[in-house]
Amino acid sequence: MSVSNMLENWKNFRHMHPVDDAPHAEYKWAMSIDLDACTGCNACTVACYAENNLPVVGKDKFNAGQQMHWMRIERYWDEDKRDFPDQGAQFLPMMCQHCEAAPCETVCPAGATNHTADGLNSQVYNRCIGSRYCSANCPFKVRYFNWYDYPTTDNVWPAEMTEQLNPDVTVRGKGVMEKCTFCVQRLERAKNNARTEGRLVKDGEVQTACQQACPTNAISFGNLVEPESKVAKQWAHQQVELAREGQAKDEQEGGSKLRGYRIFEELRAYPSVMYLERVRESAI
Amino acid sequence: MIENGINRRDFLKVMGWGGAAVALAGCGNTSVQDGKEIVTSYASLDLPEYAIPGISVYFNSTCAQCDAGCNIAGRVREGRVLKLEGNPASPINRGKTCGLGQAGVQAHYNPDRVRQPLLRTGGKTEELAWDKAFALINEKVGGAKGNEVAFLTGGLSGHAKVLFTNYMDALGSKSHYVYEAVAPSVVRAANKKAYGVEMPRLHIDKARVVVSFGADFLGAWVSPVHFSQQYAQFRKGSNGQRGVLVQIESKMTLTGANADRWLAVRPGTEGIVALGVIHALGEAGMSLPADVAALSKAYDAERVSKDTGVSAEQIKKLATLLKERTPSLVIAGSAAEGYAHGSQNAAAIALLNRVLGNIGKTIDAPATVPFPQVAVETGKRSALEALSGSMAGGAVKVLFTYAANPVYSAPAALKFKENLGKVPFKVAFAHFMDETAQEADLVLPLDSAMEEWGTVVPEYMPETAQLNIRQPLMERLHTETRGVGDIMLALLKQSRPNDYKDFDDFYAYLRNAILKNKAALGGAGTDDDTFWMETLSKGIAPMGTAMGKLAATPAASGLSLPAPAEADSAYPLRLIPYVTPNLRDGRHANQPWLQESPDPLTTIVWDTWVEMHPSTAAKLGVVEGDIVEVSSRSGTVQAQAYIFPGIHPDAISMPLGNGHTSMGRWANGVGVNTFALLDQVVDKDTGELALNETQVKVSKTGKRVIVVKDEGFAGGSQAGKKIAVRTSTDKVELTGEV
Repeated sequence: MSVSNMLENWKNFRHMHPVDDAPHAEYKWAMSIDLDACTGCNACTVACYAENNLPVVGKDKFNAGQQMHWMRIERYWDEDKRDFPDQGAQFLPMMCQHCEAAPCETVCPAGATNHTADGLNSQVYNRCIGSRYCSANCPFKVRYFNWYDYPTTDNVWPAEMTEQLNPDVTVRGKGVMEKCTFCVQRLERAKNNARTEGRLVKDGEVQTACQQACPTNAISFGNLVEPESKVAKQWAHQQVELAREGQAKDEQEGGSKLRGYRIFEELRAYPSVMYLERVRESAI
Repeated sequence: MIENGINRRDFLKVMGWGGAAVALAGCGNTSVQDGKEIVTSYASLDLPEYAIPGISVYFNSTCAQCDAGCNIAGRVREGRVLKLEGNPASPINRGKTCGLGQAGVQAHYNPDRVRQPLLRTGGKTEELAWDKAFALINEKVGGAKGNEVAFLTGGLSGHAKVLFTNYMDALGSKSHYVYEAVAPSVVRAANKKAYGVEMPRLHIDKARVVVSFGADFLGAWVSPVHFSQQYAQFRKGSNGQRGVLVQIESKMTLTGANADRWLAVRPGTEGIVALGVIHALGEAGMSLPADVAALSKAYDAERVSKDTGVSAEQIKKLATLLKERTPSLVIAGSAAEGYAHGSQNAAAIALLNRVLGNIGKTIDAPATVPFPQVAVETGKRSALEALSGSMAGGAVKVLFTYAANPVYSAPAALKFKENLGKVPFKVAFAHFMDETAQEADLVLPLDSAMEEWGTVVPEYMPETAQLNIRQPLMERLHTETRGVGDIMLALLKQSRPNDYKDFDDFYAYLRNAILKNKAALGGAGTDDDTFWMETLSKGIAPMGTAMGKLAATPAASGLSLPAPAEADSAYPLRLIPYVTPNLRDGRHANQPWLQESPDPLTTIVWDTWVEMHPSTAAKLGVVEGDIVEVSSRSGTVQAQAYIFPGIHPDAISMPLGNGHTSMGRWANGVGVNTFALLDQVVDKDTGELALNETQVKVSKTGKRVIVVKDEGFAGGSQAGKKIAVRTSTDKVELTGEV
């Protein structure tokens, strides 16, 4: 794609979602994560390695901040200086939030990251020139850069280990940026199957790898356009609207008794992942 | 029925259905089928009709990464297994997996697997053909008598267990040492005494309050994926009544990190807390049985608080909560059992369940496995002590090891490696050249769990008894590896040729065994082929609906708890070895996803660390990354310090599982072996190694490293931003949530 072509058709590549004149058509993929159910067990993160051909970088590169975990569990402690963290830790599964107005997209000099019609923040590996502007601009720090050519690096995928690689997912080479895709290979397969049968993808028909592994079902994923999907019902019940920065419920006096929120909503990136606050018992 | 010249009773024993509590219905005449289910590689011209290039097929099987026996579905495409998912029909894991389970494919594709039978003589290693290996074994067992042939295995169940025991029977040996390094063996014994069963079913999902004394049921305890499912339900509760979890332990586990209230208890005083809560329940007006009231009389909140470090206020609050919200569930876990009085701790905790009326409500009898031969035999740490003594006395002439790595995990005091050297002929069944295989004379390479046939009967079955099927998810990667069933069958053919001559291989044996008993496995009235295909397709066969009974009630008699231990002046800190969800007893250390998957609590990767409370660290002048020397009476290691708020100041904690000298490229030289520090102190009632009884001293070495971890420089701070948000039950309305 030439730059002139991209500029000419800018609004196709840089479509500011959501907008009233061009709402999502059939699909808007979204997620919700219940932090009260999440135990921080890391099943999702290993499942992501298995599904998405993520390289294991080893201790030294991990130390240099070059780990490639598209999904990570962040662990936080209370900061009120008690002797013990006697209400446990705070766990947060963090992956690409698939922002509707993604800060990473506007800064890509190559148009390698842009928005798909069904609301994904996509990364086109063979357009990526490795400027890493997107990563610098990401408020969530969920973009991972291939500093090395992992397929040819010792002990990343030696010998038979290559046979485990998922043939539906590209193995990335040196110099490209990558990140969570919401398991786009699974979405595409489900959409193709549905299209063949002349219907839309049904709720629950497609799961992301992290969702499928999660032992406590903390992760829901689905189509926000379909009002009967679990994820749409969750967003609706929690009164979290995709196209808002600051939700109406939070403007009520005394706040709301609902626990849905999005991280860094005030930055107007319109993330597609809603979190449900962790709950702790007040009687003990 | 007489078949092949063996009488019926013997025949049943051969097939693994001997001693059955239910009758086997009509054995028909089935001939052994030589056709196997083919998992075809793309290159093969012989594609089965269901295989379409580019489309994955899922085969059900059973996870082998731990003993929980989760039912899995392997994604197979073009003859390769790509990924493991949970089998949605499983009562255990209901379609879910843990990170450890996900990494199962890395055990299979691991480049460091043993690929050839190896004969090791005087430091020389040579490859050997299987028939020569079997002939050598035959010669060696022939030269030994009865119990001189010993077997050291991990927990065993299913038809591999049947063949092991039948082989031992054939040799006239009763020397079977079943060993699990980190299993809850004291709790099992205490449960047996308290409830009449070793592992009752727990209904976390039905409880409104769960009090866990160090049972890491979300991380590494018994059946974590199943308990995580229950936990999710428990948190949702019914009608917006969310379940409350209180965790009492000295080192925060993953489960502790998810508690509504985490109580740091002085190590070893868990039982005192339990009796204190009973006392407080009595104070709060709950009627206590006379024996319990008498026992708990002395445990008023002030005294308990002084002994345990848990505040009197917390004990009273906990009692109030337990009184108001029923049913509840109290679980005794590794933290409570790891002491010389571990059984007594567990007994005191069981008493709390009795007082609260939980028995029969949230603690339930497990299913009865109608076929004792296939039922699980769980491991004990004391088995290792017994074997080591036996080897030292020269009573073992031939030793087989399978699914255990005692040279790595034995406490130093046992001198296990030295004693092993006294055994003239050692055979290791091995996936990797681990520390134990390294000492063996003959190493037999095993199929991975994705290549072998087998059956598994898990210890913890949430519903009725189930026989899990393990089937190959692809063809062998290496032509010279064998399934453990095939090896045992070949050995049996040497000693009892008549009994086993009809079975070409373990597949034929297993198919025949299952079809012989199909009526009891849910296949009455189905023809053999259909039933076999159905069983493979489901990956689970039901074994009846019989449930056991909770035949005992926890009693106060005979229960006595020692006063809290005084600090040891030479070794002032207590070492709490941490069983991590990823590495467990260390057998998975060569799976790189697990090494790179951060420990959930410290976020550390690729290493061992020493956790200490900020106040302990301040006293020692230690900061994060200091290399400290940790010495016990049994050993000394050096590792990086990590300052961790979730640990009692009297203790330090180090994870188990790393520090391998021989295993593979991703494990060797990573971290240190915490097992090497353990003192040989045992639980007085059961003789099981008490894992938390090692006293240590910590000193600085002057070296410092950067701790490689995922939490980043902020070290777990949200810097005032709204990232991971927490609320409390009085500020939230959960009713009506989707």
